[in-house]
Amino acid sequence: MMKYNNPKPKLLIVDDSPINRSLLSDILGEEYETIEAENGEEAIAILEKLGVEISLVFLDICMPKIDGFGVLEVMKEKRWSEDIPVIIISSDDSGEHIEQAYDMGVVDFIRRPFDAAIVKKRAINTIMLYSKQRLLASMVTDQIYEKEKNSNMLINILSHIVEFRNGESGLHIIHVKTFTEILLRKLVSMTDKYKISDEDISIISTASALHDIGKISIPDAILNKPGRFTDEEFNVMKTHSKAGAEILEQLTLYKDEPLVRVAYEICRWHHERFDGKGYPDGLVGDEIPISAQVVAMADVYDALTSERCYKKAFNHEKAIEMILNGECGEFNPILKECLKSSADTIRNEIYHAKTMNSCESVKIEIPTEILKIDELSSSKRLMFMYNYESEKNKFFSDFCDDIFFEYHLDPSILKLSACGAARLGLSETIVNPFEEPTLINKIMTAENTKKELREYSVNEETITEHKCNILLDEKIKTVKIVSKKLYSFSDKPVYIGVIGKIIEI
Amino acid sequence: MTLEEAYSKLQGDYGKVMKLLRNPALVKKFALKFIDDESFELLEKSLNEKKYTEAFRAAHTLKGVCLNLCFDKLYLSAAEMTEDLRPGIPTDKTEEIFNRLKDDYLITVSALKELSEEL
Repeated sequence: MMKYNNPKPKLLIVDDSPINRSLLSDILGEEYETIEAENGEEAIAILEKLGVEISLVFLDICMPKIDGFGVLEVMKEKRWSEDIPVIIISSDDSGEHIEQAYDMGVVDFIRRPFDAAIVKKRAINTIMLYSKQRLLASMVTDQIYEKEKNSNMLINILSHIVEFRNGESGLHIIHVKTFTEILLRKLVSMTDKYKISDEDISIISTASALHDIGKISIPDAILNKPGRFTDEEFNVMKTHSKAGAEILEQLTLYKDEPLVRVAYEICRWHHERFDGKGYPDGLVGDEIPISAQVVAMADVYDALTSERCYKKAFNHEKAIEMILNGECGEFNPILKECLKSSADTIRNEIYHAKTMNSCESVKIEIPTEILKIDELSSSKRLMFMYNYESEKNKFFSDFCDDIFFEYHLDPSILKLSACGAARLGLSETIVNPFEEPTLINKIMTAENTKKELREYSVNEETITEHKCNILLDEKIKTVKIVSKKLYSFSDKPVYIGVIGKIIEI
Repeated sequence: MTLEEAYSKLQGDYGKVMKLLRNPALVKKFALKFIDDESFELLEKSLNEKKYTEAFRAAHTLKGVCLNLCFDKLYLSAAEMTEDLRPGIPTDKTEEIFNRLKDDYLITVSALKELSEEL
């Protein structure tokens, strides 16, 4: 666990010469806690143990057992080099080594004989650079996330206003968006005819939410008319696509933004059909921008699968069949192919979208460079260490006759060692142990045990012992319970549980 | 004998080492540590046992230490020894280079011992 009482960053110095190691330790010892390794093998063992606690490694190349390159290889393989910077100290002048080392992720080179002041400066700069980089990466990720979340939210609110007026739930735009994204991904995998990038997919699916904004200009009486439209009313209804495009066109500030341009295409042409029989412009084939073609199909699918005042909802299979048969107008044959092969995904995802809050569906495209230096690798490593420790713990406790217990306050869970559980006749993991009558009868015969488990406070001694009678091996026996209270590792430690052992006397 | 005199006796560069490490006490401490440095012994032993890879590494280490401490004369012969042994097999010059290195090493250690005895 992390301790805060020693703020000095740790440096690992790897060199086979004791003089060289302690010279560096002396130079850097004031500002850093230095750890020395006399060959690559030792260095790897120390890195394995301390991980990112090491702020910087000074590494010699020529060493017995595993040499400097060997260490670099392991560091790269285990992804330590992403978090732990390495500076090579070398007495070789050959450029070949230097290049090879840089290729393996080394940050800097210091040549012997080194200048003490320069060594100090480089150490500080490198550590700062790495921690700054980590900080920046997480800041950028947070900001991208916030920004993306906010703009998605605004778009959703805007479209929701339109739908709300229309008496719809807001699910329609989410479905259209999900459908659009799935279909575009499939399209990209099937052909590069339309030159659609990942960013385009994200823009088109975001902009798809705006496809019906033109409905804001349709009078209430028509928009919310129960039953079928007359021809005249339908003609008014049809103006919504052009009206939406006009609203966007009149934006003075953002009309040249890719999102707005794509939204324009979608608004204006999401009722066009591939055979030219759509409206408002009667465009044919790929005259209709691909964004509008895809959203048109998505719009139709969701209309078919939703209940309307004049029709029942069709099921997924029926809706797909109707689209493929051209019952809702003709679509691009490539898109029909895409629809056929992603039908299952669409059904699953749209069902999923139905059960999910729209704001949580924010997906962020984080640049890969940032992902590489993200904290992810460290948290993965932490997870690994945690799993490793629990595995180890379980192994040892499974193979001994002792009765160990571990109590966790929140959530309230009691864990017993395998043998302990058997001898007490209890299960190994008990949730809410105080509400478990068998347990209270068996362990808690001593009146105050229960109280003690629950009410340890920080002021008390952390290790306590007491005697009591419990039901062990089906007999009442007197035992000694030795336990240690656990506190959180925060500034103000909070009691979080207790571990202990039950000993027969 | 002063530290500077010892450097002059072992033909090192006192001015340079002072400039690099800045602290006379630090230089003295590490110069004296060289007396107990084992890389020369390891080199000699490895050569006798015909373990040339180890010999190369020992020469390389010795070279690195001399570079750090600015023991220029000994550094030059250690560097020559390192390059001679780098391919991992002895050459017809190996013995000659080693003997020169040994002379330089003995001069260096005796100068440092003189310095330490006066402490």
